[in-house]
Amino acid sequence: MLKQIQNIYLYREMLRNVVLRELRARYKGSVLGFLWTFVNPLLMLVIYSVVFSYILKTEIINYPMFIFVALLPWNYFVNSILQGTVSLVQNAGLIKKIYFPREVFPIAVVISNLVNYLLSLLIMIPALLLTGVHIKLPAISFPLILLVETFFVLAFALVLSVINIYFRDMEHLVGVIILALFYLTPVLYPLSLIPENIIWIFNLNPITPIIQAYRDIFFEGIWPDWAVLMKVGLFGLVLLVFSMRIFDRMQRDAAEHI
Amino acid sequence: MDYAIAIKDVSKKFRIYHGRMYSLKEKLLYWGQQRSEEFWALQNINLEIPKGKTVGLIGKNGSGKSTLLKLISKILYPTSGTIQVFGRMSTLLELGAGFHQEFTGRENIYLNASILGFSKKEIDRKIDQIIAFSELENFIDTPVRNYSSGMYMRLGFSIAIHVDPDILLIDEILAVGDYEFQKKCMDRIEEFKKAGKTIVFVSHSGDQVKQLCDLAVWLENGKLIRYGSAASVVDEYEQKVEVISQ
Repeated sequence: MLKQIQNIYLYREMLRNVVLRELRARYKGSVLGFLWTFVNPLLMLVIYSVVFSYILKTEIINYPMFIFVALLPWNYFVNSILQGTVSLVQNAGLIKKIYFPREVFPIAVVISNLVNYLLSLLIMIPALLLTGVHIKLPAISFPLILLVETFFVLAFALVLSVINIYFRDMEHLVGVIILALFYLTPVLYPLSLIPENIIWIFNLNPITPIIQAYRDIFFEGIWPDWAVLMKVGLFGLVLLVFSMRIFDRMQRDAAEHI
Repeated sequence: MDYAIAIKDVSKKFRIYHGRMYSLKEKLLYWGQQRSEEFWALQNINLEIPKGKTVGLIGKNGSGKSTLLKLISKILYPTSGTIQVFGRMSTLLELGAGFHQEFTGRENIYLNASILGFSKKEIDRKIDQIIAFSELENFIDTPVRNYSSGMYMRLGFSIAIHVDPDILLIDEILAVGDYEFQKKCMDRIEEFKKAGKTIVFVSHSGDQVKQLCDLAVWLENGKLIRYGSAASVVDEYEQKVEVISQ
């Protein structure tokens, strides 16, 4: 495990370059180029604002921002996992020809999505201020919540990418599971809307408290539920350790099955 | 004796599937019917390569040369046995693997060299040499999708050859470019030898092995037939090939 991390560190320059490739290649050739990183969340915000102000009216105050603060970290989670799952298979040519720690590709996907998420905050924070939501002190707990989320994102990206080599249905399954998970996570609605008798399903979902925490610190301006967050963080860390071991074991025969 | 590579009792088994089934549907439909055969690409290989020597791997197609090289380079994992490598290692299996079509030559140098294990500092220091060696000064800021296949190979080789490893693994890539460029590559490999690097390379050409190598390994059907001085092993190998062809 320590050796595995050391090895990835040795190839940090490759990791850096693959992340840059992911970030730059995505918009290469398009007119707006890197600006899309900002235009994308901005347009998303516009759409939600229009839809929920004029068409689907809700009782929640400032509903567009209520969604927005949760949707951005959700997108970080989802995009990392979807792209992470196919990241090894997509680079099959390289894996067959050159040795490097194979963790580099799923990790690079996660980092590039993390960067995109952080950049989208440059849209989110002014939007919050403009709509009258003040950024309060609890917002400083953001890095901690992000860390907890990243444990999960990394764990899933690693395991799913290596499983997808041997079992290509994985990428399709993941798409469906994530769609279901989206409605089981309080992104579009507050947790208080869930009937008492089924709330345990939502409490089983480790992403729920993470999304809830983002909303607490940015939208509500209150401190997150530390006890729950610590529990989830610990669980995420254990999951990450396991996923690295699984990855290490399963990547051995990657070159001949990919 | 100081070893660069120590291979102990290594075997590699491949499973050959008759129509590999990846998806759930296929796996359920043909449960237990999937036919596969075992194939031993290498069996009980013991090999110690001393530091600073150049070693050629010879043998027919399918004798296990490339498999052995991939095992040493850690692309493949042995079914049994252990492989120890002492020192930094670089593999030249395919040139330009990992090039990004939309990126310029220069950008690809950074990307490709880092995949080979370079640090940013090393690349910064060597980029001018790499560009000069590839003779692509005028095209280095053009996306590589506009390169001819020759230019592509030249850039790939130039990056690979400027990696400064202790151990260099080469798989039949010396047939790149025109005669002059090949000559340059050979000279570069000679330089590597003089600098005391360990080189392992796969070749079909007995003359090339005799010319470049100190030692040679003769593989046949996944077994090690002979390991010794390049001249004697190549002679013996070629004799046998001739006897069979007569």
